[in-house]
Amino acid sequence: MKPKAAIIFSPGINRDQETSYALIQAGADYEIIQLIELEKGEKRLDDFQILLCPGGFSYGDDVMSAKIWASKSLAHFQTQLQKFISEDKLVIGICNGFQFLIRTGLLPFANVGQIEATLTHNASNHFECRWVNMKVQPSNCVFTKGMEGQILRMPTAHGEGRFLANDEALKRIKDQNQVIFRYVDENGNSTQDYPVNPNGSTEAIAGLCSPNGKIMGLMPHPECNSKKNHHPDWNIEGREGGECLRIFENAVKYFR
Amino acid sequence: MIHTISTFPKDPKIDAKGAGLLADAKEFLRVQTISEIRCVKKFYLEGINEEELAVLKDKLLVEEVWQDFAIDQDFYPSHPYQVEVAYKPGMMNPEVQSIIDTAHALGVTSLIAADTGFVYCFYGENLNQSEIQAVINKLVMNSTIEDIRTGMPKTLILSGQTGEIKIIPIRDMTDEELMKLSKNTLFLTLEEMHTIKNYFQELGRDPYDAELEILAQTWSEHCCHKTFNAKLVIDGVEKESLFKRLKNATKEINHSHAVSIFVDNSGVWKFDDKYGICGKVETHNSPSALDPFGGAATGSGGVFRDIAGTGQGAKVIASTDMFCVGLPDCPESEIPEGCKHPRFTLKGVVRGVSYYGNPMGIPTPNGSVHFHHDFRCKPSIIVGSYGLIELDKAIKKAPNFGDLIFVIGGRTGRDGIHGATFSSAEMTAETATVNSTAVQIGNPIEEKRTFDAVLELSKENMIHAVTDCGAGGFSSAIGEMGEKTGAYVELEKAPLKYTGLAPWEIFISESQERMVVALDPQNLDKAKKICEKYSVESTVLGKFTGDNKLLVTYEDKTLCDLPMEFVHKGLNPLVIKGNYVVSSFPDPSENEVSKDDYTESLHKILSNLNVCSKEPIIRRYDHNVQGTAVQMPLCGKTHSAPNNASVLEPIPGCGKGLIISHGLNPVLNKIDPYLGSKWAINEAIANAVCQGANPENLALIDNFIWPKPDSKFIADLDKSIEACVELSKAYKMPFISGKDSLSSTYTNQATGEKIHIPPVLCVSTFGVVDDINKTISSPFKKVGNKIVLIGETRAEMGGSIYYDVLGYVGSKVPDIEKAVAFKTYQAIHKGIQNGLIKSCADISEGGLAGCVTEMAFGEMFGVEIELRIENRDLKNFEYLFSESPCRFVGEVAEHDFENLKQICGDIPCEIIGEINNNGQIIFKDKDKILIQEKTDKLFKSWKEPMKKVFG
Repeated sequence: MKPKAAIIFSPGINRDQETSYALIQAGADYEIIQLIELEKGEKRLDDFQILLCPGGFSYGDDVMSAKIWASKSLAHFQTQLQKFISEDKLVIGICNGFQFLIRTGLLPFANVGQIEATLTHNASNHFECRWVNMKVQPSNCVFTKGMEGQILRMPTAHGEGRFLANDEALKRIKDQNQVIFRYVDENGNSTQDYPVNPNGSTEAIAGLCSPNGKIMGLMPHPECNSKKNHHPDWNIEGREGGECLRIFENAVKYFR
Repeated sequence: MIHTISTFPKDPKIDAKGAGLLADAKEFLRVQTISEIRCVKKFYLEGINEEELAVLKDKLLVEEVWQDFAIDQDFYPSHPYQVEVAYKPGMMNPEVQSIIDTAHALGVTSLIAADTGFVYCFYGENLNQSEIQAVINKLVMNSTIEDIRTGMPKTLILSGQTGEIKIIPIRDMTDEELMKLSKNTLFLTLEEMHTIKNYFQELGRDPYDAELEILAQTWSEHCCHKTFNAKLVIDGVEKESLFKRLKNATKEINHSHAVSIFVDNSGVWKFDDKYGICGKVETHNSPSALDPFGGAATGSGGVFRDIAGTGQGAKVIASTDMFCVGLPDCPESEIPEGCKHPRFTLKGVVRGVSYYGNPMGIPTPNGSVHFHHDFRCKPSIIVGSYGLIELDKAIKKAPNFGDLIFVIGGRTGRDGIHGATFSSAEMTAETATVNSTAVQIGNPIEEKRTFDAVLELSKENMIHAVTDCGAGGFSSAIGEMGEKTGAYVELEKAPLKYTGLAPWEIFISESQERMVVALDPQNLDKAKKICEKYSVESTVLGKFTGDNKLLVTYEDKTLCDLPMEFVHKGLNPLVIKGNYVVSSFPDPSENEVSKDDYTESLHKILSNLNVCSKEPIIRRYDHNVQGTAVQMPLCGKTHSAPNNASVLEPIPGCGKGLIISHGLNPVLNKIDPYLGSKWAINEAIANAVCQGANPENLALIDNFIWPKPDSKFIADLDKSIEACVELSKAYKMPFISGKDSLSSTYTNQATGEKIHIPPVLCVSTFGVVDDINKTISSPFKKVGNKIVLIGETRAEMGGSIYYDVLGYVGSKVPDIEKAVAFKTYQAIHKGIQNGLIKSCADISEGGLAGCVTEMAFGEMFGVEIELRIENRDLKNFEYLFSESPCRFVGEVAEHDFENLKQICGDIPCEIIGEINNNGQIIFKDKDKILIQEKTDKLFKSWKEPMKKVFG
């Protein structure tokens, strides 16, 4: 079966083109769904296997990043979200979409409506666009299956990507192997040093999954390294881009 | 009843807004007593009870996992040093709609109004009140829209009275009275005021205030380009207008890829059989001089709207930014009154461009910064944009009779009043105070959703014509669209940010994010539905008539009733006389320029502001969004080595590319505007060609940013146009769009002394690359490959960085024979297409030595170069540092060299060295070492200057 993804679009979302491109390349179908259509009940999440929350600046970061998107979603269709994650379905949140997953409680612990961590302003205090290296951590994450230990290159482009959680939450996250990506230097070591860790995230955490491995959120953009020419050094032998397509392919494979 | 909730992070260290403000306060105001600033966000909520307040707190406004909060009291109740800044009463706060909508969704329907503010809490020993005031007034508050809030407002519901329509008794005015009326608002000359006076005398009535404003705006230099359309007499010889000469050249070239030229908001170039690429480059110098952040942000917003408002609607796919500013370490004492410090300007414009382009999801992959002391009064802030348009929607049409004037996007406020007229005026110390409302306020998300709606309206074929509200607002947009038809506007229907505006203000306000669509009345319901889907407000403001009149009413009272003919054609064309004055700048003496060792010179060149790495700026912009990146501004293992141009794949997966680059060199124009302009054009083209552009598929865009055109500067402009026309025709690369901004002179009112910027011709170029896989990046790639120099080096050191480093300008501006130049471009193109050239960069500021060194920065390679000086008249320093145009450094495998040499034919093409892994940059003349330095040390020098500015 070719899974169908819902790409959620709210005012200010701007990564719809590249996420849909990556999904198509990976063999999925997709439909761009306006948040307002979900709010009015004109569209339902039931019709989809993958929920993709893309990057952007939804509602211009009013109140705080992804907050309006998250609050409106919980107000209008919390039960649909709850149902979606209780079924055997997948959720991806990238950048602003990761912020959405945190602010709805889908991450870290899949407790819808329970906010248990935050993504806040970069330690550098400004928006930054930069390629980073991320090491795939051991986990049961569906999206990174078979990629453990691999180093993936992705561009970041955000001003609020610093992951913070209290000690208790952090312990749970680690105990349940929910950290799926860490920012690493050229030797593969995770670090707090700028700019290798571009935002100062705790323990160099760049991405998380839910305890069951079916909800994934990350700050960098795998969809922007989903083909050869995406990486700035694709002209150099051995440095061609595109390795991140596998994340989307894993999602598609899950439904086969 | 109004409740408040104040929030602040539990960990004060993550208060980014406070920390950022403190850093700015230390940098720009040099505050001594303030050691910490905390920035508390405060929400005002009207009409709700305490239970509902708790719901909003929990589900919308506070995240207790990391935030503390205070309800109905100050967050720090006993802290004596706190200042709250909020929107002025009656101002629309863009965040409020989100809060109210979400509250209603959460079931809190009694929330009838809301507002937000920030409370700035200052800490430090012996806090100095005047420092606090300076921080608030200079760094925090935009006094056009915000003020200091001291008490609880009685209500947050917006209300107010509309201003009146006034009649201006112009028919009886003396010359003195006419000029008094014109000064600081209309910016018209006495002759132009007379034209208006005479017109109304004949008409037998006095004008409404709005009519004067409309005429002043339509006739402003900014909107109608009087100088560019004027007849010229240069050194006694009559010449056709500058604009006509450019247009004629383009017409003569008649390029098969040119789709729409000089008639629309942007030029359109054929991409493939289905799509075209729109290109437009704008300037926002005057607003950016007053408010660098706001000026640059709305400059970007404006040029994006030019793209979106092309034909029947286009998608914006790229943004560029070229800045010319004063020196970041300029002593305060040298900054004239009313001008901002260049450092403040630079950081402000960078923030502005990133504030606007990033949220819009538009990649900004190309740009540059140029520094010169004479930009300290008025910077040149150039912002470009490119778009994708379906070819069958690329030609602008006039509205049909009876089409609705359908306005979508943001609301109208008082921001940007007189932007168009003020932009056409010289700067003085008064400019900042008198014209503070001239700066517009940008809201990128409003523009994003407006564009989303425009694209869908376009897709549904509902747009007869579309244009944006830019300079001159409704007046300009509706006036231009209705030029051939006439228009009737019922102005009271315009949605406002707040009440209290006079009708004339509504009509000429330059509030951002508004587009005007000519819509068939049959499609109204469908169009409104599309706008609702994207949460965009839409209004029918009137209709396009057939009476060729511009008729505007407010609640049945007329405020404008003028024939389109007079509005658009009432101005007599100017005749401007000029005389060319040869400029001369001394050259350094022989013993100043010739050295035994040039290592130190290379360090100085790399750390020269006009050569050094601009990475901290580049990283503030998103390059990858839309997933179209192919060649990006920075690459290599270090992620720091620069490319000369950028390549995008506008439709992911299509395999074809859009290449974008530009060139400018203000210093060369100062010495010789003809040769300086030629250099800029060649530089723009060379930048594109070395990345893989086909010289037969390139379009050009001109931006002239000039001092107020007096006799000398109009003659300089004439020379610059001559260069543009000559090269454009010789290369068959047409100019397809452009813009002139001719007011970059500062006048000291006390002494009459004038400061002119060095004249800027910025040439942007773009074209279609048939196969993105045949584009290359600039940095060196492989140890053992040969380094090749292509093109002839000549002793042309005038305006070079080497001279600048020595404290000279010099006289001999680089030049090249145009036939040779074009052949070189073709050779480079063929070399890249055939896979012979693996890396390539064009030689510009910093000469050969600078170019080779930058190419080594990608992998921190070493290189060893041997100077091949055939012609011994050429001295070592000239070989190393000359900026002769149209020369390239390439990387080739040894076995490919002969092939490349053959392609180059009679163009010089020589192996000058080899790439190695030794980490040293070495230049030798036979056995004599001229430069020897570790690559990483040079890298550090190159990175240092912007690190100092941006941290």
